[in-house]
Amino acid sequence: MNIRPARIDDLMGMQACNLQNLPENYTMRYYLYHALTWPQLSYVAEDHKGRIVGYILAKMEEDVGADDEPHGHVTSISVLRSYRRLGLAKRLMVQSQEAMATIYRASYVSLHVRKSNRAALSLYKDTLGFTVRDIEKKYYADGEDAYAMRLSLKHLAR
Amino acid sequence: MAPSVPSKRVLPSKESGLFKELLNLYESRQLKKGQKTADQILKKFPEHGETLCMKGLILTHMGRREEGIELVKKGVRLDLTSHIAWHVFGLIQKGEKNYEEALKSYTQALRFDKENMNILRDAAHLQTQLRLFDGLVETRHTLLKLRPNLRQNWIGLAVAYHLNGSLKDAKQVLEHYESTLKNIPDYDVEHSEVLLYHIRLLEELGEYPKALGLLDVNAKSRAIIDRTAIMEFRARLLSKLGDHDEAENTWQALIEQNPDSYEYYKGFFSNRGIDLENVTGDARQKALQYLRDFSSQLPRAAAPRRLALDVADGDDFKTLAEPYLTSGLDKGIPSLFADIKALYRDVGKQRAIASIVEALRERLASQSSSPPSESESPTTYLWTLYFLAQHYSHTADHKHALTLLDEALEHTPTLPELLMYRARVLKRLGDPFGAARSMDEARVLDLQDRFLNTKCAKYRLRAGLEEEAQELFGLFTKKDASSPGADLEDMQSLLYLTEDADSHRRNGAFGLALKKFHAIQKVFNEIEDDQYDFHGYSLRRFTLNIYLDLIPWEDHLRSHASYIHSAISASQIYVQIHDDPAAASKASSSNNLTEAEKKAKKKAKKAAQKVQEDSKKATTQSTSTNEDKGLDLTPAKDDDPTGTKLLEHATALDRAWKLLSPLVSLAQENIDVQIAIYDVAVRRSKLLEAAKALRYAKSLDAEHPELHIRLIDFHKRVSSLPQVPPAPIGSVINAALAELLPEEVSLETFNSQYLQRHSTSGKAVLASANVLHKLGTPIAEVESAAFGALNPEVSLSIQTAVDILAFLQSIGSSRADEFRTTCNAKYELSTVFKLPSELAELRRVAFVVTEEDKTKQEEAS
Repeated sequence: MNIRPARIDDLMGMQACNLQNLPENYTMRYYLYHALTWPQLSYVAEDHKGRIVGYILAKMEEDVGADDEPHGHVTSISVLRSYRRLGLAKRLMVQSQEAMATIYRASYVSLHVRKSNRAALSLYKDTLGFTVRDIEKKYYADGEDAYAMRLSLKHLAR
Repeated sequence: MAPSVPSKRVLPSKESGLFKELLNLYESRQLKKGQKTADQILKKFPEHGETLCMKGLILTHMGRREEGIELVKKGVRLDLTSHIAWHVFGLIQKGEKNYEEALKSYTQALRFDKENMNILRDAAHLQTQLRLFDGLVETRHTLLKLRPNLRQNWIGLAVAYHLNGSLKDAKQVLEHYESTLKNIPDYDVEHSEVLLYHIRLLEELGEYPKALGLLDVNAKSRAIIDRTAIMEFRARLLSKLGDHDEAENTWQALIEQNPDSYEYYKGFFSNRGIDLENVTGDARQKALQYLRDFSSQLPRAAAPRRLALDVADGDDFKTLAEPYLTSGLDKGIPSLFADIKALYRDVGKQRAIASIVEALRERLASQSSSPPSESESPTTYLWTLYFLAQHYSHTADHKHALTLLDEALEHTPTLPELLMYRARVLKRLGDPFGAARSMDEARVLDLQDRFLNTKCAKYRLRAGLEEEAQELFGLFTKKDASSPGADLEDMQSLLYLTEDADSHRRNGAFGLALKKFHAIQKVFNEIEDDQYDFHGYSLRRFTLNIYLDLIPWEDHLRSHASYIHSAISASQIYVQIHDDPAAASKASSSNNLTEAEKKAKKKAKKAAQKVQEDSKKATTQSTSTNEDKGLDLTPAKDDDPTGTKLLEHATALDRAWKLLSPLVSLAQENIDVQIAIYDVAVRRSKLLEAAKALRYAKSLDAEHPELHIRLIDFHKRVSSLPQVPPAPIGSVINAALAELLPEEVSLETFNSQYLQRHSTSGKAVLASANVLHKLGTPIAEVESAAFGALNPEVSLSIQTAVDILAFLQSIGSSRADEFRTTCNAKYELSTVFKLPSELAELRRVAFVVTEEDKTKQEEAS
């Protein structure tokens, strides 16, 4: 599958992929906001027909506390079930992290995951190397807690 | 000379101070206080236009829209030369998405306050939204003249020139801008973006050496910090400049950075004179060598291995395909078949792949009794069967595919992929119920997976199981939404809206189908409106490059497949209603409501109640709180839950035309669009438009069966006109007819010649039967023509057979049932030709009955 930076004309494909895979969904406006603020951070995986089969939607954290460092945040990442076991999530994540570190000098990247989502947790932990930093109570609209996870990007600093 | 202030606007010093306070309170959105202050002024000066407008604006923000707008209108009337009054009016119109009228108000406001930065900026955004680029350039010029020290005013002018097609002017503005810059901080993303934009401009202008020079200088000084962009520009520019060695190094570096980007490989090869899409002759060995090198340099990259399969042929292909396939099957990669399917365009490659995987299956089958060897994972056999099932279904041997899947399922009953594919094969065999059940079996194996859930709900819709589909959707939608469908609609799920609309249409619930098709149109309207805020935002953030991609993308938004499908489908329903008003009344008469419609009515009633309660709460609250509801017009409550109003006969064609009209320019190359345009145009007596669509359709595919029907239809309609249309239309129509249909043969002959040319195509058989009917041929002849589709040499898809059955029923044929039973026997695994009475039983078996369900049922009884 082809891995490349997301373009404007990928956003609808990303939205469709997200709606098929995940319970956290967003209107097009939110995708546009990501693309038109941090155009280098989101990536897609597409099949031979140009259909989006996986994506990472990413941003920089805008409210960085005084004692915190600039860091990236993964708003959403997913791969269609039928395109799993190809390592697409990892490939997408690696590209996005590189851009976070080199363009925005991010020192780490964070993300949230539902406590009950064991499959995703194992992807972030075991495959992508994230660690759990915190539990955020009632992070999701339906009241479920989230694990706040992090991965250092210090090794990418230039 | 400054214009004199009209006396009615002048306030005494106390009120004048209050008015200034009012403006400040509005700016900081202290709505409640603002309202009080306005009332204080109005107590003494009830006819003060600007105060009335400000109060109206504040009330609108507080959610009291109607009242607010009344005040604004009154205020404007009372002070027609106030820039504040017009500005407020413009804001309200913009909130209603009435961009044209808003711009008019802003233009009025600017007449009375030429240098108001806020109004100028808003006007620029409206001009961009309306694509009035000449005016935009002018506005941006004014802004720059007023505030040349603001960085974004320079960029704004450059972007305006760019949008207006004057790239050279854009370049000049940038050059000037950059020469004035001082003290740029390190690592400035905004400056980096501007420089990249400058280089992009130079590239688009064909000034490659200059572009490369600017890139290299600023990359070296680290003024440009986007490494990927630097390398992409560099590789492309060097290739264009013919510096192939240096270009190759850069393409190579890009590939190392992202070894799965097909574009980088394409660039690498095209730099060496090889077109990866079309490799021939000597280039083949050269390309393969490069790809082998990449594969060994980048052991984890998938792209070079896959690309080698495109490039290789003959024995090379077999040598490369074998390890590729074997490793994919060992790893259990579900997408392996989808990945290599494109190679099937080459029959030799298709055969080679089949024989490699078949050989593997035989080898593994013979081993299956003994324990698996070290090198082969025990699941390899399973994935091999899965792959072969897809191969055989793809080559239309669905039954063999089912046998393979059944064997695999016996081996491992818990792999959802097997069941999902089984569902797909059953769907292809015309059994939507069995397909839905198989998908349900897959779903229950992993209830946490929304992908399986969505697929299963979609399959239920394909089987017409509306309510049961909604139940499934509801497992993953927001619990506080008024219904699962409402959440999916809010989240702009085109998949859901499309499938639901199609399902309603198949069920004959035209009103609900139209509602969903219009909901799709609404999604596209929303996305079109979304761009508005970015006209200003992107300049503030300096994200110019992606912004300049956003604008043309928005212009082509409705060429999206979902929009096209919804516009065509809805227009077909509208045409049907127009031709046969009874079809609509049948669909809408209340004692004939489908279950889904009844449910929709109930749901809407509930939702309406909720809206009413909410708005009651809101009005009581809004008088006491400061809550800002913004200026955007929120949609009114749905007073037509079943879409009955959409079925109204008299305006059906107008609604159809509104959906189709964007496609006249956006989807010209789509023959289905041209046919739909014809169907609507000809019924609206727009003969020129109709003729144009047919001529275009003919240039796309002169032999298309739907076009064949329309050619005759057009001839008949024109020749039955009471009089020749006035010049010049009449002569143009006659010329078009002469071009579309040969004059020397009769329509009957034209039709039989068409059938002779396409005697083995089921669709052509249907088209010619349809034409016979239009020409007034006795029904027995029409029937026997339609039955021709059942001849063994005719290739007849299940869908076409269904269409023929519907055609026979529509002409009141007494042989329709004979056709149905013949098809029922011909497509032995299909259920789409069963009698309605048989369907009830089929619906029952379309679901998995879980232990939980059983207990529930027992408890209930």
